[in-house]
Amino acid sequence: MPLIETDNLWKTYAMGSERIHALRSVSMAIEKGEYVAIMGPSGSGKSTLMNLIGCLDTPTKGEYWLNDKRVREMNDNELANIRNREIGFVFQVFNLLPRASALHNVELPLIYNGTPKGEREKMARMALERVELGDRMSHKPSELSGGQRQRVAVARALVNSPSLILADEPTGNLDSKTSEEIMKLFDHLHREGNTIITVTHEATVARHAKRVLSILDGRIASDEAIPEEQRNGVH
Amino acid sequence: MAVLSAIFRLAGGALLANKLRSGLTFTGIVFGVTSVMTIMSFLEGAIGAIEKAFESMGPSTFMVSKMMSAFSEEEFLEKIRRKPIDLRTADVIEQDCQLCDKISPRLFDQARISYGDQSLRRIMVMGAAANFIDIVDMEVAQGRFHSSEDDLYRRNVVFIGDLIRETFFEGVDPLGKQIRIGPKKYTVIGVAKKRGTLFGESQDDYAVIPLSAHTRQFGVPHRRGTFLTIKAVSVEQLEEAMDEVRLILRTYRKVPPSEPDDFDMETAESILERLNQFTLMFRMVSVGISGISLVIGGIVVMNIMMVSVTERTREIGIRKSVGAKQRHILLQFLFESIMLTLSGGALGVGLGFVIAKILASQADVDIDPSALAISAGLIVSTGIGLIFGIYPAMKAARLDPIKALGYE
Repeated sequence: MPLIETDNLWKTYAMGSERIHALRSVSMAIEKGEYVAIMGPSGSGKSTLMNLIGCLDTPTKGEYWLNDKRVREMNDNELANIRNREIGFVFQVFNLLPRASALHNVELPLIYNGTPKGEREKMARMALERVELGDRMSHKPSELSGGQRQRVAVARALVNSPSLILADEPTGNLDSKTSEEIMKLFDHLHREGNTIITVTHEATVARHAKRVLSILDGRIASDEAIPEEQRNGVH
Repeated sequence: MAVLSAIFRLAGGALLANKLRSGLTFTGIVFGVTSVMTIMSFLEGAIGAIEKAFESMGPSTFMVSKMMSAFSEEEFLEKIRRKPIDLRTADVIEQDCQLCDKISPRLFDQARISYGDQSLRRIMVMGAAANFIDIVDMEVAQGRFHSSEDDLYRRNVVFIGDLIRETFFEGVDPLGKQIRIGPKKYTVIGVAKKRGTLFGESQDDYAVIPLSAHTRQFGVPHRRGTFLTIKAVSVEQLEEAMDEVRLILRTYRKVPPSEPDDFDMETAESILERLNQFTLMFRMVSVGISGISLVIGGIVVMNIMMVSVTERTREIGIRKSVGAKQRHILLQFLFESIMLTLSGGALGVGLGFVIAKILASQADVDIDPSALAISAGLIVSTGIGLIFGIYPAMKAARLDPIKALGYE
């Protein structure tokens, strides 16, 4: 059983009297431990696909299984549960709480599954140490560099040991040197056995993955494995 | 539980992070609750003071006269035309009433009282039977009340209220001294215990003389008539005794069966009840008007919470993306509004009580903190947080995480 399986996935939006098909019959499977990049220009539907995979939204038609769970007919609370336990998000704009310390930001997912305070702090510390921010725990996002902020976000994504790390343009707001740093972090997490999906329109970012799904006009245009010698970050 | 306590802490943290906004909302609630609590505590204190004034009338005692009270002009005009109750009525009831233990007739007049070159005007002079002191809880501070012998021999003796003692005999033993009531001389035989003031009026400005002396000086009771204070044989038989007296009076005064009573009968309880009824509308209106400020406070809360939800849309999106459920977001915002209104309410209850106490002291009324007013204030302010906070909180809880995350 793959970790992610979609079957004939549609997402349709009503814009006035018009119906816009953001996704048209997307079927795919991603195994546990894979490192996949979803590529496509803006408006291709890759963000919609990411929202569906991330259980932020439900499909109009079709089936989606995540870790054996049928997402299609889940209500808001069940979706929240899945997001909490199965998925760790990393966003382009970091999406950290500006007034909270790095530690508190990383603790956030643990708050909503009822982890007791002491354990929460311990887990958040460990996650921050994994991204080498052990010395920045009490810093607020405004006191951290862009790369450090994104590493806090990665720590937050990791803290709950999710089955999937979902990164949406994780380097979109970073300079190339910092981008490389963050991508190396993802490579490292992949080697540790995490399943990673990055959504990006940058080839350099996509080349860190082992497989690239190209989306165009709401359909999967290609699904290719990246040969070892073309990959970034493994050398 | 870990979730709840964490969300509770989040709410507190958010309030502290927005000190100006929280402060403004808090102030709005403090004002609202303070004004309501001031009015409520004051009114409750005033009613309490009146109740206390009636406590001297025991629970098995009732009073009869042609007019005990009138709460409207029509009532007054109707009652003032009634035939006065004459002195002989007391004897008639004494003879015929089985359930009456004691009957004490009283007459009232106003007169000038003087001692040496000092004088007090418009002092209430009460003519009472000797048994009056047994029926009513009137405490003797010094000397004695007059006896039935004093009454029988029409002795010119007087039992004085504390105000008269204070005015004429400060630092001097009043017993045996002679004062004048109008032109007539009376010997002071006793002083009543001080009762203090009620709404700025002294309750100690009276003198009591034997009934016989009163009729001799002031003549046969005129329009106002006799006041009868009657003690039933027991509290349980109070109503039966009142029915008995009613029947005797109707027969004696020849009231046709179709006509209503042409006299008033009241117990302390029934007078208070009528007073409460009479003031109910006034109290409701004043609490209602001050309640408007509470509603305004509530609207302030709602307004600020709406602004807060809009401003924190992205935060809500982030929380939802990491797995916060609708109820978690709802609770966080509700906790925030309730914390604000409850803490504002607590301060308002305290302030309101202090202001009411100061106001009441101007009217010589002392008020105590009332559990009812305090709990009402706290419950109402919590309710306001809940009622005016629920809509913004629901709005926050129902935000679509994708839209909330994309919100700038």
